[in-house]
Amino acid sequence: MAERSTISSQRRKALFVLLTPITLLLGAFFLIPLGIMVVYSFLEPGLYGGVVWSFYPYNYGRIFGWPLGGGEEFEPLYIQIILNSLYYAALTVIVTLVVCYPVAFWVSRMGPLAKNIVLFAITLPFFANLLVRIYAWLLLLRPTGAVNTALLSLGIIDQPLNMIFTEFAVIVGLVYVLTPFMFLPIYASVERLDWSLVQASQDLGATPFQTFRRVILPLTAPGIAGGCVIVFIPALGNFIVPSFLGGSKVQMTGNVIERQFLQARNWPFGSTLAMIVMASVLLLVLAYTLWMRRAANNERLAGAGHV
Amino acid sequence: MKWLKNIALTGAALMALAAGPAQAAGELHLYNWGDYINPEIIDKFSKEYDVKVSLDTYSTNEEMLAKIQAGATGYDLVWPSVHMADIMVQLGLVEESKINQSKGFENIDPGALRAKQDPKADFCLPYAWGPVGIFYNKTVAGQDFKSWKDLFDYAAKNPGRVTLLDDLRETLGIGLIMNGKSVNTRDPADIKLAEEFILKQKPNIAAFRYDVIPLIEGGDMAASHYYVGGVLYVNKRPKDLGFVIPEEGATMYQENVCMLKTAPNKDNAKLFMEFLLRPEIAAQNSTMLTNGVVNKAALELLPPELKNNPAINPPPEVRAKLQIFEDLGADLKVYDRAWSRIKAN
Repeated sequence: MAERSTISSQRRKALFVLLTPITLLLGAFFLIPLGIMVVYSFLEPGLYGGVVWSFYPYNYGRIFGWPLGGGEEFEPLYIQIILNSLYYAALTVIVTLVVCYPVAFWVSRMGPLAKNIVLFAITLPFFANLLVRIYAWLLLLRPTGAVNTALLSLGIIDQPLNMIFTEFAVIVGLVYVLTPFMFLPIYASVERLDWSLVQASQDLGATPFQTFRRVILPLTAPGIAGGCVIVFIPALGNFIVPSFLGGSKVQMTGNVIERQFLQARNWPFGSTLAMIVMASVLLLVLAYTLWMRRAANNERLAGAGHV
Repeated sequence: MKWLKNIALTGAALMALAAGPAQAAGELHLYNWGDYINPEIIDKFSKEYDVKVSLDTYSTNEEMLAKIQAGATGYDLVWPSVHMADIMVQLGLVEESKINQSKGFENIDPGALRAKQDPKADFCLPYAWGPVGIFYNKTVAGQDFKSWKDLFDYAAKNPGRVTLLDDLRETLGIGLIMNGKSVNTRDPADIKLAEEFILKQKPNIAAFRYDVIPLIEGGDMAASHYYVGGVLYVNKRPKDLGFVIPEEGATMYQENVCMLKTAPNKDNAKLFMEFLLRPEIAAQNSTMLTNGVVNKAALELLPPELKNNPAINPPPEVRAKLQIFEDLGADLKVYDRAWSRIKAN
């Protein structure tokens, strides 16, 4: 008994030592800036950027319509922009999912060498700066770019297509940037998939669709959900892609936030918008965690049922 | 009591030494816009006075102000736009340099003394100015542009080949000019007119964008709302490219060189300001920047393709139609809202 308690106290000590650095790091570089943002979102904007230290709840009023005062007006515009960002983020999630899901199965069936090469190729873009890669898409999609030149010389089109600075270009850019984030979690769950269960389902006379829906999909669902969450979050806050490939005609919340800090010199309103993006992300992650916990509980119950 | 005085003096001397190195070593720290000074003149200054010069860059006035206000020390000279120079003088960030008493100041165009807080250039030295107009590719457009009307007519016929700046005041400024209003208006009704004008053009506009030189040069876009710096490229390919100040009028910018109150090397900073007053140095600088010149003697030394360029050295009747931005303080919000609505619709 005494021995056991020593071991557990040692464990606790080890855990403490191991967790300290990351806690300090998150505390210093995440919680403090977050705190500054929360405080700023309730302050009055300074005339030339910065803040005036007086309580000012109207930044939220400008977005949601309440409370109002201090010369601020309610503008449904910002809710519209947030909804627009949600739409782009959701579309990005759907496209990356449709692309990555079948590919994950294909890659998981490859030989070890081919598999490693493919995985390396998927992580390769991270070696180059994001801006450079986005710029490359500009060169590809512009009227005199590679895609148009190829299509023109093949005689498929006789006028260059207007691809750059459109919604299409924004989706292409977001999908391109975020595909690895969707692929890796899905791949991890497909790799872990127990194929004997698939065989069992087939032996028991399930149609391919039934096997997919009742066996494969539930078993890979955690990977899908994880991928969706980590694609959705950066897509929602992105401002480089819409401003580079969308020609700033497509406006996402990230662009408005950037402008509040620079051109409009309204740091508190920028902080407020950033808080709202954060809040929507937080809700999403919360839903994901609750769902995962329920799934884990169900599994445990199912396991107990077998015994 | 003499010994006490000696100790005090020695102490003061020691403290001066301790605080000194940054000042005494012959250094000068510039904080300027990106690509807004000819590096050759920095080299020249550095050699002539044996001063080590460093150069940091910023891309907006607000960025520079935020950094200086946050207490960034170590910079000697900054290059604010005129309205920002006014703000900085008001905030007490700028040192009175008395540059107006230096030799060569008589060459500065009196018209360039635009700062309201500093009408006699006791503080800052006018540096360069330029109009914002239309930079275009003649070959692709198949026409020349003379006015904003030309630009928007072309865009209506060829949607997706024209860009405007991604700048709320510049772009709403076109809308104000087209409605015959001041670009510094604070009247929401005027700004509403400008918003409606730009919104009407938006479907025909390819993008709101700063970085357009490669797109115009490569022929991806036919025409862009752009700064006079585009003339540099026009002079390299005069047959294909063009830059024009639109007939209806346009906006202009001007930057002044200001010495900071916190400057560690005030003597060198003053030397550099006086160096910029030399006509041959100012001319060498402007030749690279293809900006408007505020130094009348330097204007005479410019290469003919710049001196005779109506965008760089416009005639008085065109100059009269150029408007410079003033700071709007809290009223900037009205513009920001209009701009957000333009972007969201």
